[in-house]
Amino acid sequence: MLDKCTRALGKEVAVGSVDQELRLLWEEDKASTNASLMNLAVYSEEDDAILKNSEIVQAITKEHACRAILIGIDRDASDASIRAWITAHCHLSRQGSKSVCCEQIAFQLTGRATGRLRNTVFAHLNSDLPLVFWWQGELSDIFTERLYSLIDRFIFDSAQWSEPLLSLQKINRMLGEGVGLAPMDLEWTRSYQARLALAALFDDPLAAQALEYTQQIRIVVHPDHRMAGMQVLAWIVQSTGWQRSRDLGLCGDQDNSDTEDRFYFETHQGSDVTVRVEYDASSATLGLVELSSADCVVRVSREVGSAYMHQQLEAGAHQIDRLVPAASDDASELVADQLSRGGKNTLYRTMLPVYLDLLK
Amino acid sequence: MKNPFRKDLVSRSRPEACTVVIFGATGDLTHRKLVPALYNLQVEGALPAGVRIVGFARRDKSDQEFRTGLEELNKKVSRSGHDDTIWSEFEQTIHYHQSEFQDEEGYQRLAERLDEIDRERGGKGNRLFYIASAPSFFDDVLEHLKKAGLNKNKEGCWARVIVEKPFGTDLPTAQHLNEVVSRTFEEEDTYRIDHYLGKETAQNIMVLRFANAIFEPLWNNNYISHIQITCAENLGMEGGRGGYYDKAGALRDMVQNHLLQLLSLVAMEPPTDLSADGVRDEKVKVLRSMRQWDTPELVAENVVRGQYIAGHVDGEKVVGYREEDRVDPESMTESYVALKVLIDTWRWSEVPFYVRMGKQLPKKATEISVHFKEPPTVLFNALAGGVPGGNVLVIRIQPDEGISLRMVSKIPGASLRLEPVKMDFHYSTSFGKGSPEAYERLLLDCMAGDATLFARRDEVEEAWKFIDHIEHAWHNSEEPPPMAEFVAGTWGPKEADDLLKKSGHKWRRL
Ligand SMILES: NC(=O)c1ccc[n+]([C@@H]2O[C@H](COP(=O)([O-])OP(=O)(O)OC[C@H]3O[C@@H](n4cnc5c(N)ncnc54)[C@H](OP(=O)(O)O)[C@@H]3O)[C@@H](O)[C@H]2O)c1
Repeated sequence: MLDKCTRALGKEVAVGSVDQELRLLWEEDKASTNASLMNLAVYSEEDDAILKNSEIVQAITKEHACRAILIGIDRDASDASIRAWITAHCHLSRQGSKSVCCEQIAFQLTGRATGRLRNTVFAHLNSDLPLVFWWQGELSDIFTERLYSLIDRFIFDSAQWSEPLLSLQKINRMLGEGVGLAPMDLEWTRSYQARLALAALFDDPLAAQALEYTQQIRIVVHPDHRMAGMQVLAWIVQSTGWQRSRDLGLCGDQDNSDTEDRFYFETHQGSDVTVRVEYDASSATLGLVELSSADCVVRVSREVGSAYMHQQLEAGAHQIDRLVPAASDDASELVADQLSRGGKNTLYRTMLPVYLDLLK
Repeated sequence: MKNPFRKDLVSRSRPEACTVVIFGATGDLTHRKLVPALYNLQVEGALPAGVRIVGFARRDKSDQEFRTGLEELNKKVSRSGHDDTIWSEFEQTIHYHQSEFQDEEGYQRLAERLDEIDRERGGKGNRLFYIASAPSFFDDVLEHLKKAGLNKNKEGCWARVIVEKPFGTDLPTAQHLNEVVSRTFEEEDTYRIDHYLGKETAQNIMVLRFANAIFEPLWNNNYISHIQITCAENLGMEGGRGGYYDKAGALRDMVQNHLLQLLSLVAMEPPTDLSADGVRDEKVKVLRSMRQWDTPELVAENVVRGQYIAGHVDGEKVVGYREEDRVDPESMTESYVALKVLIDTWRWSEVPFYVRMGKQLPKKATEISVHFKEPPTVLFNALAGGVPGGNVLVIRIQPDEGISLRMVSKIPGASLRLEPVKMDFHYSTSFGKGSPEAYERLLLDCMAGDATLFARRDEVEEAWKFIDHIEHAWHNSEEPPPMAEFVAGTWGPKEADDLLKKSGHKWRRL
């Protein structure tokens, strides 16, 4: 399959002459500017992923100038081989005057590859620029200390994992080792706009007052995005400092786990909070987050396919209802969004232990 | 009340919901800048829920007519484009209030209307008054706000005022305005806008200086020969601007505020912290340390004023300044000014800062260039061509925001020849995302109570003090320094070149 469409990957070159070929590429084209603020490595063990990723990177480079290194691996193949292609993704600059280009190197590896993978990536980095590593799919045994100790930002999608608890524990352990790496979970990015909208509603004094008297929380997510629902809950619990009530004999957590999970918490004011995280195939990725108390309902909701969310507050006669932008469902936009935010993602780090606790 | 969900979510102070009252809301500034800025904040989800906008102006208009007018312009100028769905939600928060600035009863009605809006919003009565009118109305608006009790904070809320430029026309008028403002609002609630400070590159000056280890050790008179600040415009007095401009001139219109603000950011000492007063304390020290050109002789020696005569700009024929629409044919107002500023501090002793601003120059560009001293050249002196100039660090404010560094390098080949090369960083190619408009940032900061990027009373007054001596020499002295001329579309008068030549310097070619 790969053979048919490799034209999209650019020129095939010998692995040993990648740098030389890249130089030639720039010499041929005097009109373009080579721009790069980071190394973006995209790793996948799926068939033909590098073709799809080349398109994604083309979109990302519109906003984020980088040197892209695509890696596709077929680890089940019996023989060990490696092929490489180079190309450049070009866009007109905002003033429309200049063509700004980012170079891309694509590698397809077969066979047992741990050592070769590390070497392939590290031999082609732009020096001094940060390394952003986007790991697609399950966190396999290639993900070792030798690899992650050189990464500055690690992008992954916990929604794609069959055993999220195990993989996240691995990530948590890695963070515990004091590596400077910033974890970037795309599932967490998916809930960013909703969290922002929810936080903004609690700027309202009536909502803020009612928070400690919350009785119900409802979170509705698509079954493919259970993790997004759990993360939002972990974030709420971590931010408020509410206590899980299981120690108070109010167990019954996680009754009916195909369609819903339940949790019980207690606020600082002693209010009992029942949380339902519902999995509904007709819901948007993150369809609803709603906190209600006797006097106040705070709600962020989104219809399937809509580019907006409703941000609502109902407290007696006082009502707010506005449309705010929703997060994109598109992987390249999520990554671009994540890249534009920078930082160490401390919120994710602090939320992670609570989240792991909920998943147990 | 604390909002636990804000923690770590966004790394800035939290903007609070409020009612923004714009005085002069049918004007150009509101249509071109303020409302599009608020709309873009809404698009980005950055505008706090519950913000309402009330436009105050003289003409009779319904809410809907007002909204339609704003929508038309937003379609043309909005940075992120215009989305009908978002706009239709957004415009519901916009209202029009018809009244004269001088009409007391109009402010009473405004107060009632604001209370009503607060009630609908659930009692939170933060108010942000934006005075987007000619300065001659500032007194009226502020006095009437006070009479109507609108300057008073409601319990647990705030009332703030944003004042547009020009903030006075000289020191006494600025002091008077400051008096009027301070009779009505506390200094901490007063936000004097200087939109240059809201520009991404202006904010980056501090980051460049203090977040990099390689510049600050060189940032002084041991290594820097001089600094140039240029603001060039390739426009004249189009659109009836002449009426206002001929009363102001380049020095008052641009130098007193924007360019001296840039100068103080470049020259200030590291602040103790990034708080509003921490930064502004350091900036004001720079302004206070500027050597005063307080005699006509000193002005003649250190400042050049000029006017363009007919010429060509961008391939088009243009008239001279005195032939412009609404300009006095015998005008003695400068459309161009170049001056040398000396800052009498330990760090900057004898390092000249050259500042120039002009209309109808060859192109539009605002930039700061830091010219380093020449290295000892014993090694390369004997070479044909010698060493071609020293290092220059350029901070481009607009357009094409970015930073470049000029260095000397060897030309490839068997012989040793040296040429300057440039390392260039462009915001637009490196960060595909457009920078927010200055007004977006500044409005949010004001809603968050962060005054760092606004001018403080003492900064404004110190800047006027410096400017007033020059204006006085030009307009009130016995032997005023002459008015230079230059052909429109060239880089200013010869006298401006001579100003630098005296110290062995040259304007950077842009
Ligand atoms: N335009 C810009 O881009 C810009 C940039 C920086 C600073 N500024 C400053 O911002 C201020 C406003 O500029 P602008 O260009 O928006 O001015 P403008 O277009 O002339 O608008 C003036 C506004 O004031 C209102 N007004 C005038 N007299 C009034 C009265 N007696 N009672 C009530 N309303 C009255 C007008 O209302 P009616 O139309 O109903 O009469 C109009 O809304 C000025 O200080 C200017 O220097 C402007």
